[in-house]
Amino acid sequence: MAVILLPSLLAREAGGEGRFETDAANVRDALRGLPIADLLFDERGNLRPLVNVYVDREQIDDLKTPLEESTEIRLVAAVAGG
Amino acid sequence: MGVAALVGTRKGLFVLTGDETRRDWNVEGPHLTGFEVFHATRDPRDGTLHAATNNWVYGATAHRSSDQGETWERAEQIGLPEESGLTWERSWHIEPGHADEPGTMWLGGTPGALFKSTDGGATWEPVQSLIEHPTREKWNPGAGGLCCHSIQIDPSDASRIYIAISAAGGFRSEDGGGSWTPINKNVAADFFPDNPFPEVGQCVHKLLVHPAQPERIWQQNHCGVYRSDDRGDDWERLEDNGLPSGFGFPLALDPADPDTAYVIPEEGAENRVTPNGRLGVYRTRDGGASWKLLKEGLPQQAWASVMREGMSFDRLEPVGIYAGAQSGSVFISPDAGDSWVEAAQYLPTILSVEAVEWQ
Repeated sequence: MAVILLPSLLAREAGGEGRFETDAANVRDALRGLPIADLLFDERGNLRPLVNVYVDREQIDDLKTPLEESTEIRLVAAVAGG
Repeated sequence: MGVAALVGTRKGLFVLTGDETRRDWNVEGPHLTGFEVFHATRDPRDGTLHAATNNWVYGATAHRSSDQGETWERAEQIGLPEESGLTWERSWHIEPGHADEPGTMWLGGTPGALFKSTDGGATWEPVQSLIEHPTREKWNPGAGGLCCHSIQIDPSDASRIYIAISAAGGFRSEDGGGSWTPINKNVAADFFPDNPFPEVGQCVHKLLVHPAQPERIWQQNHCGVYRSDDRGDDWERLEDNGLPSGFGFPLALDPADPDTAYVIPEEGAENRVTPNGRLGVYRTRDGGASWKLLKEGLPQQAWASVMREGMSFDRLEPVGIYAGAQSGSVFISPDAGDSWVEAAQYLPTILSVEAVEWQ
């Protein structure tokens, strides 16, 4: 199973769970299956522009990136703000 | 039943609970950390807390709590229909529906949109009639975006709803949100020198219906303070009467006296701080014919600003008035504005204050 790791705010919104396992075929499907998908995607299904997705420590833009058994997805908010 | 002030900030929600004197306050929180709380309220029908919440990364949503803030649930995805070409950008104001319609809630925000919930805020449906309003192309965003920030339900008629959008103006529905009539007659839009009294496009900053005399409506506008005695069909501009400026954002009323209102003027659109270097609340007790500066207990050297959701009033006698400044201080008057206490300070930037019943 691939693993998704959430930052603390998303983990709290997911009911206190910061680690999810998934058998989805690709990154998009994995993220859409999370209980916080509404915070990651807008109502059109577009990934919000300041949500960065890392797969096995590499930032990706293509959400169709396939998942393998040991893939680790990490969600990181863009560094900005104050 | 006691009273609390729900204080929405850039960094979460704080709850101020007071004793019977309304002069000593306890600060509890923050709740909803990580979210900007543009507005929060308590549903008097069932005690649920509701918050209009935004995060600069994760978008606009709404939260609710049935245990006075201990735990929160987030609404299902809030969104606008694809054919509108619009996307939901920011949640501004959340308002319980009429007492006869339990479970009904309203949520307003950017881009000039309104949502209705019939399940207590779990799910939200966009109000299509506003998305498709024939005047929409004439609406323009103010500095805070094209925000639907005022939602008022006529307590005498559940089907009569008022909203205000900056800068589209005020609108009234007589059919529960099925259609909307602009209510901007004699409300100035001085920023349109070629047509300063258009049908729509006015920059309403806050609009309130008087709870006991609901045909009387007040508004603080970009271009003056106004009162209507006919449900918004016509408006009277209240100026040259003691106010240092017609520009300001927040507004408060006295539920026991329809002739009383409170505003916090700012110097003007180009310098949005309290005038004369002091934080002053101005009160009228004659329907806006004259205004008096209230200053006892308020800082006499201050260049403060109180945002459109930053003032509120309770239902006690005498009325309590609540004001939260962007500086992080909450000022509360337990005696209708005659004197004030600084109930909290050093909070994050305050976006909203709502006085609610509290057990």
